Amino acid sequence: MDLALTEGQEMLRSTARNFMEREAPVDVVVGLQKLESSLASDLWRKAARLGWLGIVIPAEYGGSGDRLSDAAVLYEELGRGPLPGPFFSSGVLGALTVLEGATEEQRRRILPGVAIGERVLTVAITEPNTSWGPAGITLAPQGRNGSYTLNGTKLFVSDATSATDLVVAVRTGEGPTDVSLLHVDARARGVTARRLPGFVSWQCEVTFDNVEVPGSALLGEAQRGWAALARALERALPLLCAYMVGGCQAVYEKSVAYAQARVQFGVPIGRFQRVQDHVVRLVNHLDSARWATWEALWKLDTGRPAAASVHMAKAVASEAYLEACNAAHEVHAGMGVLIEYGLAAHTQMSRTLFHYLGDPRWHKRRMADALEW
Amino acid sequence: MDFEVTYTEEQQRFRREVRTWLEANVAPSVQRTPTSPEDNYQRYLELRALGRKLGAKGWLYPTAPAKYGGGGLDVDHAIILEEEVDRLDLSLPPYYDSGGRLGSASILVWGTEEQRQTFLPPIYRGEVRTWQLLTEPGAGSDLAGVRTTTAVRDGDQYVIKGQKIFVGSDNGTDRIWMIVCTDPKGRRHENLSWFMIDANLPGITMQPMELMGTGGEGGTDSGVKQTVFFDDVRVPALALVGGENKGWTVATTHLELEHGGGGRIGRNRVWDRLLRYCQETKRDGVPLSQQQDVRDSLADIYIKTEITRLFGLRNFYLTYARKPKSYEGPQLSYYRKTAGLWMTGAILDAVGPAALTTDPTWGSPAGFLETQQRNGIVSVHPGGTTDIQRVQMARRIGIGRSTREKAGTVHGAEA
Repeated sequence: MDLALTEGQEMLRSTARNFMEREAPVDVVVGLQKLESSLASDLWRKAARLGWLGIVIPAEYGGSGDRLSDAAVLYEELGRGPLPGPFFSSGVLGALTVLEGATEEQRRRILPGVAIGERVLTVAITEPNTSWGPAGITLAPQGRNGSYTLNGTKLFVSDATSATDLVVAVRTGEGPTDVSLLHVDARARGVTARRLPGFVSWQCEVTFDNVEVPGSALLGEAQRGWAALARALERALPLLCAYMVGGCQAVYEKSVAYAQARVQFGVPIGRFQRVQDHVVRLVNHLDSARWATWEALWKLDTGRPAAASVHMAKAVASEAYLEACNAAHEVHAGMGVLIEYGLAAHTQMSRTLFHYLGDPRWHKRRMADALEW
Repeated sequence: MDFEVTYTEEQQRFRREVRTWLEANVAPSVQRTPTSPEDNYQRYLELRALGRKLGAKGWLYPTAPAKYGGGGLDVDHAIILEEEVDRLDLSLPPYYDSGGRLGSASILVWGTEEQRQTFLPPIYRGEVRTWQLLTEPGAGSDLAGVRTTTAVRDGDQYVIKGQKIFVGSDNGTDRIWMIVCTDPKGRRHENLSWFMIDANLPGITMQPMELMGTGGEGGTDSGVKQTVFFDDVRVPALALVGGENKGWTVATTHLELEHGGGGRIGRNRVWDRLLRYCQETKRDGVPLSQQQDVRDSLADIYIKTEITRLFGLRNFYLTYARKPKSYEGPQLSYYRKTAGLWMTGAILDAVGPAALTTDPTWGSPAGFLETQQRNGIVSVHPGGTTDIQRVQMARRIGIGRSTREKAGTVHGAEA
């Protein structure tokens, strides 16, 4: 048993933390919030040079093929921002979906560009019904002369406004998991991506209006798309959890510092047990998310059955990030709702990721199924 | 990271040795639920006999230093022992004996060599059991406010007077360890002393307190606590550990351990049985476990037990890898206690009124759910209330006081 980070992981953590402090301090993160695209080209290029965009892509496809637990160290640091950008959408979920679902030729064609950041992927799964299971996938392509025509809408597609390539889950049969994956040029005629307005971070609507897609766009085999996506999600979700753990850690540190510095009634507010209760609640959520996430990562990296742990981690981390932000707002009061202070970016991100790729209830039910109750 | 203890060839051989020994030395009847007070006492004697046998092999307190009668084994071997004993639904030690894990740690860290030689071997060998006497009628959460029990030096003896409550369990004890006030006018935290004494000295009397359930940290408690009266009890000066008026410092060691600082590895016994019960019990013709609302409740209950396990595992790791700790001890204690209390409602909601009865026909097997309904409530206070745990966490996080509080010392004088 060893619950410490390895030396290499400590080095990566320190590199990533320095990068975040230098390149993405609070004012930068706050400044990015209102932009239509989450991708800041300067940051993106620098991250690409550090090899972070290909961190889970195997070396033969141009990445560094690190273990998930190594990548998790990076995602925790990105989550501390929370740094916007299609890091997870492209470098993790997009890359792993291609890796799991595509043919060898397709992998060699797509992944090297993803690893250097020239190609930006995102995976379009859910639709106006907002289900994250296979039944929610109803967008059905019309096949004609060996090509496809797409008409319809994908919703809550993360970072679609900065994507160059879409992986679109489409319905191609009557069976519950008769789903296929299409690789679609995000700039093809008839494709429109629009960031959804409101209290949500870079979740997009993608509409397809008579979009013509060649037959070669089918990733791997027809009807195998859901299985590939499920395998990719099992490995990708813990990294999204790590990003949320980093978010929890940041709002925890902000809250402790504020409770120490803010003086009311002549004493730092941290002396008040009511205020302490918020911080205690926050750190309990933080640590719940952290250890649930890291155990899932360990199981995946060591080839153990991990489905139940992954579902639990997503449920716990989603709740934790939301509750951590709530507790932080109780500590910070008025200061916390000032946009420039930076807590609000976490709060909005915590709401966004609560539902993205399955909310806690959905994952708890999948966990119960995986445990064969 | 590695969340699992991996076993070498030698350790696997040790596991086989332990299993074989336990099969030969643990009668299945000790796992019974006692049918009468006499049977309860009889079972206690059997468990004590088992404790002595384990102690003779160094397996009762496997990681305690061998030179003081412990096993001198490393943590990996201790885990194997705990796991094998756990398979039989028993614990190490198989009865309530807070001296072996808590009081002895204070003696190891703060005692003189003579005191270690005198006090520790009988504990580690299972020859005596010991209870802690901390709470008083006027000092519970404010343990440092102990006033009613006093000790006054008289030659080479101390004379103890006063009263302690919420002590031990049933069936008596051999030794007791306690904090008493030795300087009523002294400053807080500088006026207490820590003693390890014989429980059968003249002037000590005990009176049972009946509780609504058991809440022992060791899980092998009985639902009975004692009031202990001291009427001019004379103890030798050797019984004073750590020096006069140094008792609070001595106590921080076992308090840190009691507050969850030591961590633990092991399964949640209620969970496995609850799931089985829900799979085997039907409502409206459908197993409870297949009803969506019950499944949702079970998922929440399962996650709480998993987080409790992970916090315990983390603290266990921090302790045995000798990593610095801050708020993690009281966090585990707080989380476990509040989760257990919350679970009483969640289980009642999921299972229904069958959770409340011990009736062999209409209740759960051996009334295990009824036990949880009681114990989940009782467990909220021993070793510090949930509010005390939060206060501790806040101090160690660095917001409760002007200077950040450090975790108590739990290491010292290992083999």
